[in-house]
Amino acid sequence: MAKQTVNNIKLGLFVIVGLVLLVISLYLIGKNSSFFGSNIQLKARFHNVNGLVEGNNVRFSGIQAGTVKKINIIDDTTIEVTMQVKKSLKPFIHKNALANIGNEGLMGNKVINIIPNDEPAPVIDDNDLLTTKQRANTDEIFQTLSSTNNNLQDISHDLAITVRRINNSQGIWKLFNDTSISTYVNHSLKNIDNAAAQVNDMAKVLNNITIDMQHGKGTAGVLFSDEKSGTDLKTAISHINNASKEADELISKLNKLTEQTQNDLDHGHGIAHDILKDSLEAKKLKNSLSNIEKGTAAFSEDMEALKHNFLTRHYFKEERRKKKRKANSQDSQ
Amino acid sequence: MKIPGPGEEFLNETGAIARFTGSFVRETVSPRYEIKEFIRQCYLIGYKSLPLIGLTGFIMGLVLTMQLRPTMISYGVEAKLPAMVSLSIVREIGPVISALIFAGKIGSSIGAQLGSMRVTEQIDAMDVSGTNPMKFLVVTRVLAATLMLPILSILSDTISLYGSFLGVNIRSHMSVHLFINQVFSILNFTDILPSIIKTFFFGFAIGIVGCYKGYYSKNGTEGVGHSANSAVVLSSVIVFILDLLAVQITDLLGYN
Repeated sequence: MAKQTVNNIKLGLFVIVGLVLLVISLYLIGKNSSFFGSNIQLKARFHNVNGLVEGNNVRFSGIQAGTVKKINIIDDTTIEVTMQVKKSLKPFIHKNALANIGNEGLMGNKVINIIPNDEPAPVIDDNDLLTTKQRANTDEIFQTLSSTNNNLQDISHDLAITVRRINNSQGIWKLFNDTSISTYVNHSLKNIDNAAAQVNDMAKVLNNITIDMQHGKGTAGVLFSDEKSGTDLKTAISHINNASKEADELISKLNKLTEQTQNDLDHGHGIAHDILKDSLEAKKLKNSLSNIEKGTAAFSEDMEALKHNFLTRHYFKEERRKKKRKANSQDSQ
Repeated sequence: MKIPGPGEEFLNETGAIARFTGSFVRETVSPRYEIKEFIRQCYLIGYKSLPLIGLTGFIMGLVLTMQLRPTMISYGVEAKLPAMVSLSIVREIGPVISALIFAGKIGSSIGAQLGSMRVTEQIDAMDVSGTNPMKFLVVTRVLAATLMLPILSILSDTISLYGSFLGVNIRSHMSVHLFINQVFSILNFTDILPSIIKTFFFGFAIGIVGCYKGYYSKNGTEGVGHSANSAVVLSSVIVFILDLLAVQITDLLGYN
């Protein structure tokens, strides 16, 4: 009887272990497909679900967040996907989060990725519609790749032609094969080296000159840094200054003089006034001048009479002859 | 109506098994339940089979993992090895291998036991002494087989997965946690429940075939060996046929 009890205990243990394992496995599966525990529903609308089926995983920033519950066709371009997402993730998903359809690995199942947005937005509610981002599917990627391949093919074709041309070009090969070029290049390099050395020397000299200038040697140095010549220049300038001052004074004196003259003229003082302003005086002056004219005409007559006088006639003749001779010699020349 | 040769025998046996099943159901539901004997049979059929089924399950898990590994590597999905192995173990290999081993061990032992009781006329004696041999011998054994095989199958799956875990870790490294995560990320209710439900039918078929073969054993001690042998063969075949039916039914119902 005791043995029977032991056997029963063993049997009980066996059954219980088996059932517990069953329950554990069912629980683990249930946890995965979010059968137990509270969920919220989210929706997203796509143009193309790329083979997504009910039961596919939903991920939020890569975390397993739930599963696809239902896929409905709304119209010919819109497919609504209903997702069950763990309630515990609700505070982290915001209304502006993006949903897109991705792959688990290259060949794996489709998944819906919910991607958080950087912009602030209120937390999501049950039955909210998420905005979607259609991602390039594999076909499109392959199409792009194929055009890239075509481009590559063209490029490699062109490259091949270029290389062939280079290969066939005798000029380039001649250039490459010409051994004298290296010596020329060598010479040129040497020349460049020399030139550089000269430039270096020149720079040294220039350097020395500037140093000398700084220390006041040479003409330029004296010009730039000698104090004595500076003071000389200063005194010269001050002399010029004085001279101009004197000239200024002179001009002001002249000015005074003309003012005085003007004054005299206006108020009837001096000879200038007599000449320019006084009409009586002017008449006198006119008379005197006509008298002088008359006097000189008389004198001219007298002189003419004198020429014809026998005493002085000879002298005038002689004068005329001299003049004639002079004019003739100038003409012959 | 005369059907020639083996056809007649086959149909005759099918009908007899069906009738035997019918009387089993009748005896099971009608009162006077042999609970103590049932529990004893559970212990003998279930508990005593665990080491054998556990060992085969462990080896199956380990071997399957090591066999699949090169192919998975060549497809570049070595990381999916636990998922792949667990799926094949839970859906098919666990239940079927357990059922076959169970048929070999329990089917033959039931057939031999009842056959020897039949040929030594103990069953007749029981009938005379007022104990219903159908209730005491057949119902307890068939029920025990029906209820114990699912549990054995669950335990076998678990041990197989442990073997698979060791198999993965022979060549690469994977933590227990990750292994369990991988396994249960791919498993679904539609993987586990149909496979457990079908093990009830496997257990029932093994029990009923073993009991039938033993109960109607003929031709003395020679017949005992024959009934034990044919019990194993027939129950193994029925296990496979039921497996085929099970997968078709789950497929029809959309749970595959």
